[in-house]
Amino acid sequence: MIKVLQKYKKRVDIHLLAVTFFIILLGLITLSGSNLDTSNIIVNQVVNIFVGLVIFTILVFTNPRILFSYAPILFLITIFLLILVHFFGIESNGAKRWLAFGAFNLQPSELMKITLPLMIAWLYQHYQNKITLWLHFAAIILISIPVYLVLLQPDLGTSIMIALSGFLIIFLAGISWRLILSSMIFVILSSPFIWINLHVYQKNRIINMLDPFVDPLGTGYHTIQSMIAIGSGGGFGKGWGKGSQTNLNFLPEANTDFIFAVYSEEFGFFGVVIIFTLFLLLIFRIFILASNMQSTFSKLLTVSLGVSIFSSIFVNIAMISGLLPIVGLPLPFMSYGGTSMVVSLASIGIIMSLNNHKTLIAN
Amino acid sequence: MDNYRFKYFFKKRIQILFGFLIILLFIPLLKIFYLQIIQFDRFIALSKNNSIKIVPIPPKRGVILDRNNVILADNKLVHSLEIDRTFFSDLSEIRARLKKKLNIDIDIDINIKKISYLYENTVPISFSLTDKQIANFVAHQYLFPKLSIKQRFIRDYPQGKSSAHLIGFINRINDKDISFLEKENLTNRYLGSTHIGKSGIEKFYENLIHGSPGFKEIEVDAKQNVIRTLQEKKPIPGRAINLTIDYRLQKIAEKAFKEKKGALVAIDPNNSEVLAYVSQPTFNPALFTNGISHEAWANLNDKNSRTMLDRAVAGLYPPGSTLKPFVALAALTNDIRKPPFSIFDIGYFKMPRSSKVFRDWKRGGHGTVDIIKAIAVSCDTFFYGLGLELGIPNLNKVLDDFNFGKKTEIDIDGEKSGLIADKAWKKKKFNESWYAGETAITAIGQGFTLVTPLQLANATSKLANPSLSIKPHLLLSIDGIKQDKEEVKEKKQSYSDKNLKLIKVGMVNVTKEGGTAAFLGKKSNYQMASKTGTAQLFGLKIDEEYSEDTLPDNLKDHALFITYAPANDPKIVIAVIVENGGHGGSVAGPIAKEVLDAYLKNKKL
Repeated sequence: MIKVLQKYKKRVDIHLLAVTFFIILLGLITLSGSNLDTSNIIVNQVVNIFVGLVIFTILVFTNPRILFSYAPILFLITIFLLILVHFFGIESNGAKRWLAFGAFNLQPSELMKITLPLMIAWLYQHYQNKITLWLHFAAIILISIPVYLVLLQPDLGTSIMIALSGFLIIFLAGISWRLILSSMIFVILSSPFIWINLHVYQKNRIINMLDPFVDPLGTGYHTIQSMIAIGSGGGFGKGWGKGSQTNLNFLPEANTDFIFAVYSEEFGFFGVVIIFTLFLLLIFRIFILASNMQSTFSKLLTVSLGVSIFSSIFVNIAMISGLLPIVGLPLPFMSYGGTSMVVSLASIGIIMSLNNHKTLIAN
Repeated sequence: MDNYRFKYFFKKRIQILFGFLIILLFIPLLKIFYLQIIQFDRFIALSKNNSIKIVPIPPKRGVILDRNNVILADNKLVHSLEIDRTFFSDLSEIRARLKKKLNIDIDIDINIKKISYLYENTVPISFSLTDKQIANFVAHQYLFPKLSIKQRFIRDYPQGKSSAHLIGFINRINDKDISFLEKENLTNRYLGSTHIGKSGIEKFYENLIHGSPGFKEIEVDAKQNVIRTLQEKKPIPGRAINLTIDYRLQKIAEKAFKEKKGALVAIDPNNSEVLAYVSQPTFNPALFTNGISHEAWANLNDKNSRTMLDRAVAGLYPPGSTLKPFVALAALTNDIRKPPFSIFDIGYFKMPRSSKVFRDWKRGGHGTVDIIKAIAVSCDTFFYGLGLELGIPNLNKVLDDFNFGKKTEIDIDGEKSGLIADKAWKKKKFNESWYAGETAITAIGQGFTLVTPLQLANATSKLANPSLSIKPHLLLSIDGIKQDKEEVKEKKQSYSDKNLKLIKVGMVNVTKEGGTAAFLGKKSNYQMASKTGTAQLFGLKIDEEYSEDTLPDNLKDHALFITYAPANDPKIVIAVIVENGGHGGSVAGPIAKEVLDAYLKNKKL
């Protein structure tokens, strides 16, 4: 037993694990503070965490060479699942995002947050001696397929997340600044066309972000209630379980997407600074690990997964504090929900696996 | 690209990236700092606004009592069937199920959303369950998890249909009431209230009866469910008021009317307290409390019965011969027709310089008639001539003194002023000139003159007690404290005791041998001063016989009767009008007599 634990200890990065656990713990504390029917939620969330840890452990002990060799197949499977969503997905609030497997609902777009970086990292590893403009171009094509499929659902938030994690690898793989600049100009120029093709509800969200108080009971309601929750927390918060915005149901989706607003209301700016520090430490540690890795694949994949987690955190907090439009996006490690928890823990697991086998897929 | 170059390259880019991420994360941190630290006051206020509501608690309405503390209007604790407000949309389904399973009808659903049951977790859907139905419901409550039984106060009128016009009724506050309350700056007093006085005493003394609301500070959730009460200030209940009414008399008078339409007003001539205030037919004021149905409302406003009309103050009638004592007083005051002046009545009066003839009510006439006998036998012929000589201006001056043709300003709503006609009025109204014949018939109470039963009672009261200078009123005391009425100082012509005595003798003789209501005086142990009246609604042509049997009911004469007793020390004045009742003495007289008997039985005479 002790031997197993020692082996485990050798294989995991204790710093990264500790930070992750702290964040998960804060999420659980926040969840259990609300007076809403929490008993089930806490049990379910503990189960989610457990499932996540099992997958995490499996991945920790998995040789990244396996991941590497299966990357294209995993990518294709996820693409296939996304196509399945399009035809057989569960529809909710006008969007098809989930596949039902018995009692368990799978969100393939969340899986894509891992498999796309895997695929792109595989691409650059495989052709690492022949990195040309054509390779970048191939990568862009590979990125745009899942992004397009997720956009169709429609799920603007997740598709942007996926696109970012893909493009980030291209950036890290050494695309020239000139190309980056010219593509940015392209995006800015094409933005009016993107606007035209957005759904009405997506447009409303963007408009509301600019001024949520225009329509306080309509589409701006979520943003306003969330801002009230955060703002009324003040310096040190209303105290654990005492958030009136949460417990009196003014805050929508308090357990899932808006959990950060609950946390801010109950623990105040003091608590916010603590959790920001933890998030920053998490990313910092992941970047340190990436720097010390040997293979292109490991480095690219690790940073990409890290940034993927970071962008979920950033977008979630930005939307809750009224900086970005409300897109359905959970806060990694804290929001109630299985897929998000499992995917986030799996990402950490992959990073640790890559970290264990620094040289195994060295060139 | 070789591996070494890539590593160098990667390290540089990852540093750039990390720097970028830190900067990126600072943006939401700054925004949160702005929300939590800089704008804290604003958002804490918004958060409290969200969850903490100030809810008014409506006051309990004051009770209305008669002078002997008989309850006329009260608040009754009832069991109401209530629905959880979040399930309000299921009402029609629940209604059907209630009917099917328990045979319970929901009686309230009209306009229920208009009622402000805001911030109450349940909304009443029925107030009228019987004890049996409640027991049945409680036994089967598991079938209706969205419903519950609650206790609420509703306005109760224990006397039922009796005295409805006097007491009045309340109804839900409507848009008109709201704009009135806004105009009067009273909306704060009505926070949380659902009802307001709409007629009678309930309306006139709304200010006293209503009370002031209390408040409670409650915490609500996003669906407006009440979580808990934080603070409470109790409402100030409405004042209890005693009316001058003696409900015993009221009841006797109503009974005496039987099915007849009409009104009775009884006044204490010593202080102008209204002792009885009856308008028949009457209605059940409780019908209005929660909104009246269209059919019921149409019934009450039927053109023939006109149930909603408060005949005591808003019924306008020709006074008929009951005006004669006042006309006679006017003549004596102007020094005409003083005894021993008399005429010989042959049954009709011929207009001077005209062929027009006015008939007396009695064929063949009354023989020799002086002013006393003219009142006692109600001799029309005597008054035709008197009227012509006196003239309208002199007559109207006295009628005005007795408050005819203007409101008595009694403390109840809807009073009409009646009508004292003159030349100018007719010119304005019909653009016609005044004929001498109209002066003659005005003197016998026909013509244009219109009075209300209250005016008649009030004028008789002044006749009984000429020194009286208090307006007739209905409010006796507030919370048991007697309200002193201010005396009204008015310039009046003085009437000599001698003249007043002559009128009194005439009125006493009405119930004596030979008088128009002699039969009333026979069994009386006190002396009454009275006058009968029969107001014609149907203009008889010369030589046409009036026959009660052949005339349709609504054209039959109104029967009127005024009286005060005891004649030498008046304690009560009564005016009665029975619509289409026929002869005044025989129809209206007995009603008045019953009330007199009842009132004077316990008094020292």
